[in-house]
Amino acid sequence: MEVKIERENGVVTARLIGRLDTPASQEVAPQIDGLAADAAGTIILDCTELSYISSSGLRIFLSLRKAAAEKGGKVIVRNISNEIRSVFMMTGFLNLFEIQ
Amino acid sequence: MKFLKSIKPLLLVIVAALTLEATALVQMYFSQKGIREEASMRAESQLEATRNKILIIIDQAEAAVRNSQWIAQWCLDVPDSMERVCQRIVSDNPVIVGSTMAMVPGYLPKRRLFSPYVYRDENEELVCRSLATEEYDYPSQEWFVKPMELGAGYWSEPYIDEGGGEMLMTTYSLPIYDKKGKIAGILTGDVSLEWLKELIGSIKVYPHAFCLLDSREGNSMVGIPPEATGIEEEVFVYDATVDRTGWKISIVIPASDMFDVLRSTGFIVMILQILGLVMIILMLRSYIKGQKRYSALDQKRKLVEGELHIATGIQMSMVPKTFPPFPERSDLDMAATIVPAKEVGGDLYDFFIRDEKLFFCVGDVSGKGVPAALVMAVTRTTFRNLSASTDSPGRIVRSMNDSLSSMNENNMFVTLFCGVLDLQGGLLRYCNAGHNPPLILTGSINILPVVPNLPLGIMPGMDFQEQEVELSFDDAIFLYTDGLTEAENIAHEQFGEQRMVDALHGRKSAADHLESIKGRVAEFVGEAPQSDDLTMLFIHYLPSARHLVLKNDISQITLLQTFVGEAVKASKLDGLLAPGLNLALEEAVTNVINYAYPEGVEGSVELDAEVGEDALVFTVTDSGKEFDPTARPEVDINEGVEQRKIGGLGIHLVRNIMDEVSYERRDGKNILKLTKKY
Repeated sequence: MEVKIERENGVVTARLIGRLDTPASQEVAPQIDGLAADAAGTIILDCTELSYISSSGLRIFLSLRKAAAEKGGKVIVRNISNEIRSVFMMTGFLNLFEIQ
Repeated sequence: MKFLKSIKPLLLVIVAALTLEATALVQMYFSQKGIREEASMRAESQLEATRNKILIIIDQAEAAVRNSQWIAQWCLDVPDSMERVCQRIVSDNPVIVGSTMAMVPGYLPKRRLFSPYVYRDENEELVCRSLATEEYDYPSQEWFVKPMELGAGYWSEPYIDEGGGEMLMTTYSLPIYDKKGKIAGILTGDVSLEWLKELIGSIKVYPHAFCLLDSREGNSMVGIPPEATGIEEEVFVYDATVDRTGWKISIVIPASDMFDVLRSTGFIVMILQILGLVMIILMLRSYIKGQKRYSALDQKRKLVEGELHIATGIQMSMVPKTFPPFPERSDLDMAATIVPAKEVGGDLYDFFIRDEKLFFCVGDVSGKGVPAALVMAVTRTTFRNLSASTDSPGRIVRSMNDSLSSMNENNMFVTLFCGVLDLQGGLLRYCNAGHNPPLILTGSINILPVVPNLPLGIMPGMDFQEQEVELSFDDAIFLYTDGLTEAENIAHEQFGEQRMVDALHGRKSAADHLESIKGRVAEFVGEAPQSDDLTMLFIHYLPSARHLVLKNDISQITLLQTFVGEAVKASKLDGLLAPGLNLALEEAVTNVINYAYPEGVEGSVELDAEVGEDALVFTVTDSGKEFDPTARPEVDINEGVEQRKIGGLGIHLVRNIMDEVSYERRDGKNILKLTKKY
């Protein structure tokens, strides 16, 4: 699992690459949680190369979303696979995030 | 001259016998060293686990007393409420069986001695009585005196509580200071140590090993086990001290227990040596007879041929030759072969199963003829001896190198690939000592990445790096010696790697694969003589068992993917469902890992997949504390961002993905059944 963070014109894009299972979530949580500092602006979670997500990964997404709600920014989830879309549907995450 | 001629064979036999004996001695030495290291590792890890288990109880008891410190302080002005404090300590903390608040004599103006004692009686009911009696005289008891002197918390020397049914107990005492900073009294918690007997009794690293537990003062706390009496041999003792209480745990292993494996293999080595000697004698006899019958030229030819026979005989007597080797196992299809060259090249292979692990090796001794065959025999025996006591291929190879280097007068070396395949989980650990890298067949055929390392026998004390790869259902490993790739035809062209890879394409049994390669090599080589041994080992991994045991460690989650994938493949479910089912299983297992066992306690999670007629059923079992994930409240997925709770998503996903989820607590185990219908 790898997270690549890029900043451009005030927009933060985090590319999530690989499987975000429980061990991987523990590994990358500090990196994604760190984005809460940018939560006043726009954060894009690019999931083009994300193949799997478990509840511990969803939890990281949700904390970031809560930080954005508090600071008035937004979190965009981009390019989720059908697999992950169904997990988002089951958990009501489709309504919580702007999905592109 | 005649005398010399007749004495020469005798000399040869003596020299051969001495060489074999010396080899055996060196081998025994290194095997013993390996076994001692292994025993020390086993004992240390048991000691560490036991110490942690004890510390968990000790910590709980200390915390229970410390947490009541402030309220005891507050009660100094209302002594009659102290009984309530002690009552709460006992009722809220199952590890504590009794508690008292004993006042410093004369601290209370009206009562010189004051100590209400609350304890749990045999009916589990709380009873209170006073310890302030003349006979008992609590101010002179150790649990009172020591913490007064230290001014800090203290664990008493364990004692037998005669009042409470002869139970082994210890007391944690904590001084309670008043507002002026003076000690006003001692607050205590009594902990029963009956569970220690069971814990210590259950430690069994070797059949006759036993465990002792001594207090700080050196008194035996759990008694001396019957095994300990009458031991007259050498023993090895490993010990560890438990912090704060000062208890000492010792594991005692009789030397005979530790070296038991070695004794049995030592016997096999001896038999093999005798066989070797007998063969040499037989060959020499036929040579001497031959001297009488044949002309000088014939004699020479016979001698060479005799030697060739000896070498081939030694080589072939050392390798497993029954195929299929494990007919009772459906998870393994294996085949191996050696095609010896006319002048033996000292190739070898070996394999066996121990503790659900397949140990195997393929090697090639530099040099040819009887000397190479002898080194080959030694290498194979050393492999067997060393792998009896460890399952780390890195350690096996390191010890083999030490053993082979120290008796390497002929400067012969051995290239070797050694692997240990965990048949339950599919993890292949391996170590390569200068051998050709094997091929790994996983749908496509690739070279297994190996650190080259040096061959064995060059220098003792060398380090050999261990590597690992995860094998999945239907993966295979193909090992070979350079006799295959370097087989030459009359035009001196080599068979080469490409022809080898081409020959391995297609679905065949392990034995058919090897036959087909042999056929292709024979066709390629044609009339050219075979210059080197050709050895191949093919291992096809076909785990059929739908059973997986995970440790309570989050990193183990990654093993689920293969397990679930294979179960889905074997069922009538669509393969596209595998990631979803993997997610459900991951959530269920993560729950167990996070909640079932206390921090720092080692435990396991067992998974079973049952491929039924109309459903695939997964069972998740653990022996942790009672935990019913289905009893957790359902999360509301329609809540907005602010109200949305962070937790509870795991079980929600499990419920949504599976068709049925049921929980049961049986025989001290949590059993969660997850059903997906076809």
